[in-house]
Amino acid sequence: MFTELLRGPMTHLVLDKVSVHYDGQAAPAVERVSIDVAKGDFVVLVGRSGCGKTSLLNVAAGLVEPVHGGATIGGRPITAPSSDRAVVFQNDALFPWLAARENVAFALRLRGVRLGERAHRADALLALVKLDGAGDKRIWELSGGMRQRVGLARAMAAEPEFLLLDEPLGALDALTRERMQTTLLDLWTASHVGVLMVTHGIEEALVLATRIVVLAPGPGRVVRTFETGFSRRYAAGEAIRSIKADPAFAAARGELTDAIFEGEAA
Amino acid sequence: MTVTSYSERPHAKSDGVDALSVPWSRPRPKRSGVSARMVSAVTLLVVLAAWTLSAHLQLVSSVFLPSPVAVWNKFVVVTRDGFVDATLIQHIAASLWRVFAALIAAVVVGVPVGLAIGISTVGRGIFDPLLEFMRPIPPLAYLPLVIIWFGIGEPSKILVIAIAMLAPVALSTASGVRGVSQERINAARSLGATRMQLVRHVMLPSALPSILTGLRIALGAGWSTLVAAELVAATRGLGFMIQSAAQFLVTDVVVMGILVIAVIAFVLEFIIRRIEHGLVPWAGKE
Repeated sequence: MFTELLRGPMTHLVLDKVSVHYDGQAAPAVERVSIDVAKGDFVVLVGRSGCGKTSLLNVAAGLVEPVHGGATIGGRPITAPSSDRAVVFQNDALFPWLAARENVAFALRLRGVRLGERAHRADALLALVKLDGAGDKRIWELSGGMRQRVGLARAMAAEPEFLLLDEPLGALDALTRERMQTTLLDLWTASHVGVLMVTHGIEEALVLATRIVVLAPGPGRVVRTFETGFSRRYAAGEAIRSIKADPAFAAARGELTDAIFEGEAA
Repeated sequence: MTVTSYSERPHAKSDGVDALSVPWSRPRPKRSGVSARMVSAVTLLVVLAAWTLSAHLQLVSSVFLPSPVAVWNKFVVVTRDGFVDATLIQHIAASLWRVFAALIAAVVVGVPVGLAIGISTVGRGIFDPLLEFMRPIPPLAYLPLVIIWFGIGEPSKILVIAIAMLAPVALSTASGVRGVSQERINAARSLGATRMQLVRHVMLPSALPSILTGLRIALGAGWSTLVAAELVAATRGLGFMIQSAAQFLVTDVVVMGILVIAVIAFVLEFIIRRIEHGLVPWAGKE
């Protein structure tokens, strides 16, 4: 918490002892979970089904209200969704009546940015997610991976402080997933946003995260937190393959897997 | 309308598939067998032949069933010289004008009402029972009341048709709005959309395919209300033409009028489907 004072509270997305309890359910989905995401962090939530990963993400997004505790961004309480925390979902939720470019520019259009200017900025973002020249494509002409790239670019167009990713790569095939992981890391490095991401992929978590929070179900709670450095190594220029070939990666992978399934076998 | 019912059911592409094929027969890439469309054509031809034959053999008096040739001749004559002081084109124009004026009125009222039902609980509470009450009433039942309230002028005729169109427009708008995925709404909100922007930029476009389907159904409902609407002191219109002809027992004009109404319904259906295809090319591709 000392570092927080040094950096200043403006750059933090904080979940403070958050409990989520849905109407009509006996047990709370999440109980007293605290997570602190600084700008520039890449925090990944992992855990078995029902551990409340998505609930926590939705609290951060302002889509779900916690029954106890609270969420703040830059010290201000989070009460509703806002473009300083753009969300990308597993299903891309793109707008099929708009071409790819206008999908990306959606947030700019809401702010009244003029057509020429927003086309210019949308094209730059499309290039950033490696979709150069796809601006005129209709959404249904795009593959699943391309659609998620458009979704990411659309979120970045809102110029968020934080990016909230709810299993954005969950519906993609393994090869597309790996390519998307590097795109995500490139985007993160280039923009300095803070990322809070939910995933089921153990390797994905290790590749992407600066910190991994392991949650356990019944009710959802934090069981362990790992500080990891693999994504920083990628940002520093090391190739993904050489990172994954590192024995330390395999060791971390084993440790993380154990943490996730801890208590389940017993 | 004519082609809404069975052909709209979801089915595997039926053209080029054997009409007698059974589910477990292996799919064949292409087969020059019997297609549903061919069977339909043959059915129509058989009906036409039976009609011609029964008229030719005088099985039924021509006062009740004029021959196809007589009906066709009447079509030519009425197109050229007119019937009850107006040519066929003028009758058609009068009817089309009423139906389209009613369609515009139904959209202007029905889409906002549908939005209100889809978006707010209060809106649903207000409009749902009213629509459900109005929807099943046949036009002939409320026609007298409309005349008492609004007289026998053109507005009454348009109103009768518009009432028939209102429910399909409003209800399909509502179901389109309710069908917008929560993820799409949440994504738009997290991109900074206000409530009004959400309606304007996300809900309305999302509901557009459903609204257009509603328009198509409404147009069918309105067109079939035509005869009822033109019962009221009309001097022109297809419904009026048929009724006048019936009073003088000019059966060939009655039959011709019915066929013209059917053909126009078919053409309207075709046109609005093309519009749907052009306006919402993403429908069914998500």
